[in-house]
Amino acid sequence: MKTLKIILSLLLAGAALAADAKLNVVATTADFGAIAQAVGGENVNVTVLAKPTEDPHFVDAKPSYIVKLNRADALIEGGAELEVGWLPPLLDGSRNDKLAAGQPGHISIAEGLAMLEVPAELDRSKGDLHAKGNPHFMTDPESARHAAKKIAEGLCSVDAAHKDSYEKNLQAWLKLLDEKEAAWLKLLAPFAGTRVAAFHNSWPYFAHRFGLKMDLFLEPKPGIPPSPAQLGVVLETIKREHIKVIIIEPYQSKHMAATVAAQTGATVLDFAQYPGALKGTEGDYLALLDKLVTTLAAALAAK
Amino acid sequence: MSEAFQIMLWPLVACLVLPGLLIYLGLHIIRRGIIFVDLALAQVAALGTCVAVLLHHEAHDWQTFVWSGAFTFVGAAIFTLTRPRGHKVPQEALIGIVYVVAAAAGLLLLSRSPEGNEELRKTLVGDVLLIRPVEIAVTLGVFALVGLAHFIFRRQFMAISHAPENAAATSLKVWWWDFLFYALFGVVVTIIVHEFGVLLTFSFLIIPAVCSNLLVRTLAAQLAIGWLIAVLASSAGMVASYQLDLPTGAAIVVALGLALLLIGAALGLLHRRKKTSD
Repeated sequence: MKTLKIILSLLLAGAALAADAKLNVVATTADFGAIAQAVGGENVNVTVLAKPTEDPHFVDAKPSYIVKLNRADALIEGGAELEVGWLPPLLDGSRNDKLAAGQPGHISIAEGLAMLEVPAELDRSKGDLHAKGNPHFMTDPESARHAAKKIAEGLCSVDAAHKDSYEKNLQAWLKLLDEKEAAWLKLLAPFAGTRVAAFHNSWPYFAHRFGLKMDLFLEPKPGIPPSPAQLGVVLETIKREHIKVIIIEPYQSKHMAATVAAQTGATVLDFAQYPGALKGTEGDYLALLDKLVTTLAAALAAK
Repeated sequence: MSEAFQIMLWPLVACLVLPGLLIYLGLHIIRRGIIFVDLALAQVAALGTCVAVLLHHEAHDWQTFVWSGAFTFVGAAIFTLTRPRGHKVPQEALIGIVYVVAAAAGLLLLSRSPEGNEELRKTLVGDVLLIRPVEIAVTLGVFALVGLAHFIFRRQFMAISHAPENAAATSLKVWWWDFLFYALFGVVVTIIVHEFGVLLTFSFLIIPAVCSNLLVRTLAAQLAIGWLIAVLASSAGMVASYQLDLPTGAAIVVALGLALLLIGAALGLLHRRKKTSD
């Protein structure tokens, strides 16, 4: 009788532990990670694979990534070929059926999202990056809204027990986002149509949302140094149109941006797509966008 | 531990079965004194891929494969024709030149492609941690064919690597065997860079071969010792990579370097002791 009691209490404790155990959520990039944490709250353990300062196309794989995927209950990826170079073999290695494509545990944010720069005809010769459109969509708060809903939907179907909590957190976060987005739009409204130079074409969604023109690139083709003529056009355009700001990301050449800035009087502004890549934005998507919008507005307002 | 084993299983299998041929070829290129020919041939093959991409083929189309193969043969022909006869210009200088010119030409070609395409260069360079069983099988198949060719014609290949002057005297067609050597070598290097990445490929070619050259004389012994060193160092590198969560390829390269350091130090000590006891 006593043994039975012990076994029973152990079983109960085990059940309680299992119920208490948090959902393991792996996100490929820090922006999805931040939103997953906001939506999942105390019911999830979020792990992010790519470092915020790392180019998500080219992530250096480490053995721990496979371990993390192996133990995950849900995976959040951008999709649209953002992680195509490294995630599929890691997923193969993780042998985790819960994360297989089509399973509720495999949350692909690009699904159902209106993408920019989708090639009219699928001709790889005209840009074999991004056949499904530009995957750097999270710089638009609208995409973040879509991502949060998608993540909540995924978490609810993987972990129905905490459905109420996820939905409550989602609504709260969306409300925050609404307020913030209104403020951001207001802050950048005076600069509608302003041209901003960038290193690569990674900001079309940001430009689209905030009415900016970000179509002048220091390195028009990723990885290929610009030709003298291309660089000449950039320098000349910045001078002629009095373009004030050149934005660069952590993994881009600060040296080239500084050279162009020195010759034109423009300012180099540190931008980043992933929370944590700029100081004070760790694990917080809203803080990151806040920082981008406020520093850009300040730089554009400066004389 | 079983989890570690599960994760590192295929990289481990790859490092057990694939370096054998690389060590053998490494012994050849050390004998020939053309250490960087592997990097140069891989770069020439990559140039062929750039041409294919410019002609609108995708990185994994068969046409791309043909282009990169054809360029590899051109590279082999260049190295065959430039085998030093006089001693005015060392062949290593020409190998270096082929490497940088091929790399720069690739950059020029890609600057004419619509998107530049950083990705292309990355798709040509693999990561041993991400290796899949099917890739190991295909690579092993190609290696078996190349190894067979080297086994059947071992007399000729050995002759041109070890004593080309004698080989020429014995009416061996040096240029033909040279070309075949470089062409097969180019194919092996291109494939293995795709799975292992540049650093690890170069290390597997050179470091075990150098170690075994220090330790033993006969080819069979050198092969055995080289393979043993490769296996031990890759296992150590993989354990370190797993325990300390480091990029796997780089960890193995450093482990191979440490192995060479240990062997060198041990031989140095032995040598000194021998001298003092004399």
